[in-house]
Parts: sequence; C-alpha cells; structure tokens
Amino acid sequence: MRSILEINGEETSIWLASTGQTHVLHLGEREIPCSFDPATGKGSYTLELDGARIPLRVAVGEESTFVHLNGRAYEIGRTDPSQTLGETGGGSVQDQMVAPMPGVVVSVDVVAGDTVAEGQGLLVIESMKLETTIAAPRDGVVAEVPFATGDSFGGKEVLLSLVPLEETG
Amino acid sequence: MSISKLLVANRGEIAARVLRTARAIGLKTAVLRHPAEVDTPAHAIADEVLTINGPTPVAAYLDIEQITQVATRIGADAVHPGYGFLAENAAFVKALDAAGIIFVGPTEDVIDLMGDKIRARNYVEERGFPVAPSAIEDDNPADFVERARAVGYPLLIKPSAGGGGKGMHIVREDSQLETGIETARREGERYFGDGRLFVERYIEDPRHIEVQVMGDGQGNVVHFWERECSIQRRFQKILEETPSPALTPEQRNEICESAAGIARAVNYRGAGTVEFIYAADGGFYFLEMNTRLQVEHPVTEMVTGFDLVAEQLRIAAGEELDLQQSDIGQTGHSIELRICAEDPDADFRPAIGDILLMDEPTGPGVRVDSGILEGGSVTADFDPMLSKLIVHGRNRNEAIARARRAAQDYVILGVTTNLGYLDAILAHPKFQSGDVSTGFLAKEAEALKHRPDAATRDILMAATALSDARLVQAVENVPEIYRMMGAWRN
Repeated sequence: MRSILEINGEETSIWLASTGQTHVLHLGEREIPCSFDPATGKGSYTLELDGARIPLRVAVGEESTFVHLNGRAYEIGRTDPSQTLGETGGGSVQDQMVAPMPGVVVSVDVVAGDTVAEGQGLLVIESMKLETTIAAPRDGVVAEVPFATGDSFGGKEVLLSLVPLEETG
Repeated sequence: MSISKLLVANRGEIAARVLRTARAIGLKTAVLRHPAEVDTPAHAIADEVLTINGPTPVAAYLDIEQITQVATRIGADAVHPGYGFLAENAAFVKALDAAGIIFVGPTEDVIDLMGDKIRARNYVEERGFPVAPSAIEDDNPADFVERARAVGYPLLIKPSAGGGGKGMHIVREDSQLETGIETARREGERYFGDGRLFVERYIEDPRHIEVQVMGDGQGNVVHFWERECSIQRRFQKILEETPSPALTPEQRNEICESAAGIARAVNYRGAGTVEFIYAADGGFYFLEMNTRLQVEHPVTEMVTGFDLVAEQLRIAAGEELDLQQSDIGQTGHSIELRICAEDPDADFRPAIGDILLMDEPTGPGVRVDSGILEGGSVTADFDPMLSKLIVHGRNRNEAIARARRAAQDYVILGVTTNLGYLDAILAHPKFQSGDVSTGFLAKEAEALKHRPDAATRDILMAATALSDARLVQAVENVPEIYRMMGAWRN
C-alpha cells in the first residue's frame, strides 16, 4: 500500500508491504524490513529497521504523525493517495477535484459540457512518477477542465470541476 | 491589611505558578476562564474557576470592569495580575482600589511613569542613572537635527509613538542623517499616525541585562541580582539565564545597585525589573522598567532560593520587607527555556494543534512551569508560549547540560514547538562560551536550522507507515501473493 509522506516540506512516496511475518518498507529502490512494537511508556514504541532497534514516541494525528526521536520532535505529513482526490473531509459529494501534490497531466478524457457517470475516468495525472486516474466522484456535468495533456500543475490546484449539483437539477 | 482570598487575573503557566504559591501560604484561590479555553493546569489548582466572557478570549482578560466585578462578587481581597493583560494597567489598579481590593503590584503613579518610555527615561537620567545618549524632537523641534548629530554615530532613529521595531532606522554617518529622519517620520505617520521622533546612540551587538528588584513602598528596596536575556527572536526573549556570563563581580554590583537605586527613587512597591542595554565596552544604559513579575523570574528564584510571588503577596498585604541586601545570594546557575508553539524553520510562525502526547522532564535541578495539559489544544487565541523549562546547576556548564537533557526529554507531540531549536541554541559553541548579543539568533540562523539526515528520514517514514492503522490494515488485507509485489508500475 502506498502513502505519501512529507518531512520538512519534502515529499516522499513510500510503499508498505508485508511478508506475513514482517513488514517491508519500499523507499525508492530500497526494500527495508521493519517492525513496530509497543514499548514501556505512554506512546513508546520500538522500531526495528533493517536490524537496528530504535526507541521512539509516536502520536498519530488526523493529517500528520508526530515522532519524538533522539530528543527531538518531528511532524510527518501523511497523504493517502487513494483518499485525497475528489474528496473533502466528511465525505460530501464534491464539485472540485484538487491535486494533492504537483504533477503533470498525462491525458484528458473529457471536455467541458460532457455528462459523466460516477466512477468514470476523467483524466490521468502523474505525480512522483506514479500515474493516477481521476474518476468522477458522482454523476454530473463537467464544468471546467483547466489543464490539457502535458500541462504541469501545482499542489492544491483544481484539476477539474463539475457543475454544482443544484445547477444540474 | 491582610489577604485571605486571591484572584489570579491571568491564565496559562503564570496563573498556575501564582496559584501554587498562594496555596502554599494558605490563601483561598480563584482563577478566570473564558468559555473558549481548554482545561489548563490552573483550573485544576484553584479553589474556584470563574467564567468571564468577551468577544474574544483576550478581550475578556482585558475587561477591567468585568474582572473587578468578579473579584468583588467572590469576596477576593487581592488580585494578582501575572504578566501581560492588565499587569501594567493603571486604570485596573484604580478600579480595584475603588472596590477596596488590593492590587498585587506597584502604585498607579509608578505604573504610569514607567509606562511612558520617554518620561521614564528622563526621570532616570535626572537622578543620575545611566541612559543612552539621545535627543527628543519634542523638546525643541527647531534644533532637532543638530541635537541628533551631537548624540554621535551610529544613531537609532525611532518614532516617539512607536514599538516593535517599526519605523526604526540606523544611521551610521552624517550624510544619511536627514534622509533617515525623513523616512522614519513618514513611517511613524503611516504606522502610528504620529511623525514625532527621537534618536538615541545605537549600541552595536548589545546584550540585554536586567535586574530583579523588590520594594515594600515603605522605603525598603533590595535587588535579586541580574538576568541575561540576550537570546531573542522578533524582540522577544526565548532563553534567559542568571548570572550573566558577561559581568565581572564589580560590574554586577554596579548594574544591580543602579537598578535598586532607580527603584528606591520611586519608592517602589512590589516586584519589578529594571532593564538595561549592555554594550560590548562594558557600559550599560537604562532601557525601561517593567512594573510586574517577569516571565523569566524563575531563574532568579533558582539561584536566590526565594519565592518571588510569596514576597509579592507579603508586600501586598502591607508587610515590611524584612530582608537585607546581604541576605540575598546567587548560588549556581540557572537557565530558562520558553517553550512556544511555533515553527523556527518557518520564521517562528505560530503553530496550532492538539496536545496528543505530553511528558514533562524531571530530575535534579529541573522545574517545569506549564500552562498545558495532554488532551488540550493550542489555538490562535493566546500567546504561543506553552510552558517554561527552568534548570539549575552548580555552574553554567552543568546548567547547560541539564537544560539540554531536560529539553530532549520534554515530549510534546501534536503541535510544533521550538524545543529542538532551543536545544540547538544550547549546543551552539558561541552560546556555550557565553559569546552572545541580542543579534545572536539572527546571525546564527543558518547554524541553528535543523534538517533531518537521510537515516533519520528513513526512521520517521517507517514509524509513520507502521503506526498508520489504516495503512497497516490495508496491507494485511492484500491477498498474500500480491503483498510482496511492491510498488506498482513505475
């Protein structure tokens, strides 16, 4: 499973897998066996990473994880790529699809005015070397497609918007 | 006069700190709370918690009428203002006085005098205490430029109505003087609606050294030695210590006696602090007098062994100061760190968040004055200072080592704090050798920046992934043969 983590403004895409016995963290080309066990003390854990045993304190917040390591606190921002696109908190039906991070538009499959069905692919983007299809979060009509194939976009930019529900009747 | 019930008209760590002493000396206690505030240590300590209302929490704590009414209603015979809010507000003293309630602090007149920076400066100068050479435009606008020139370069031009560094200009040579005056005047008009100026000699690489004083308003004044507060960001102190590593014993006596002399001149009542600018050549100049307990008072308590709040309350109750100067010694060294919810790597931007996990350091020579509890949250309603970590050691090196250990053991997770930054200051060779000035943090900004190395980033990413229950659950749910397939198309 993939997650995108941000430390000091720098984003990294990671992949976590399991062998059944232990977890494996994929970081770029590296595959690092790891495990994580509670230790004595509130929020205390022992992280075993590539054979080294590392004591740390961890608190998991809504969008960030906080880690106290070697006498210093760090905040690590978390983005779950399968959750961010076309979703606000609370699960309300959304009109705007916002880019979770900067990237490039690989293909655009709709134009403004198209009627689309929930789950239909609208455009494909590539961020951090990973392609993702942006699908319609609900039935609707495409209001605007601000980007064309090959365009790059910044984090939090609107990639595509649907006509608001009340206007589609 | 005696005090049996004390209302603390403040919040956060200082409210808790004052309440603890009040309880120790047997007073009944009360504290305030705005509905928007989370639980804080003070609420758990006080016998009574009184709700105050206002359009914003800060406005409620500044509401003289409402707070005076609360004090009257609950039968408090004294109010301790802490620092900030109404601590240096003469109108508050007057309102309490009218209600027959003791204000724990100096008289209205002294608050007024010291609150007016130019009046205070003139008062101090007239009595023979050192002030930086300066010229005030209002004294005679016609020859202001001439008088400014006579002060000598480098000069600092300041708007009379100013504060916070706005409109201030350094002039290093005569050819820049008239342009500097024009610019400062325009900015003064823009920021403060007041173009009047004053100039003073600019002290290069100064230190900020201040002296704790205490008087009983009955002619007795003592000092509790100095504190050095040169480590400042945005003109605000974040690390204080005593004794100052800059002073020789002779200089220490001289500066402390000057402070006590200034307090004596106004027949000071209560705890106060006389602040000085200390120049690299050993000269020192009166800056201002704060007529209240200071944030950094605990370092003084650590080296002198006195509880300054207990002394304040005794004086407020009308007792005479039963101390001689020779009763007050300096033992060992103390350092205070101000823990603030802010991001030192993003220009000290205030941070907000929930206190998800907290563990305070303990051990020999360690004191924590905290205003937060685990499970609480940090909002933008108040000042970002969360707590203070104060240490004591036999000497400066031991104090630094204890401060570093305690800062590293202080766990606050859920909101960004400056703890790691404070530790980096303590670790800096220049700080360790005592070679600091008020420009230290700006000059050493690069050296104090922290960037986690590659190995640390790996650890942080692994810990984040493995503590993410949803991610781990999703991994476990993947059919076994796919689990090891790793990152998808690349």
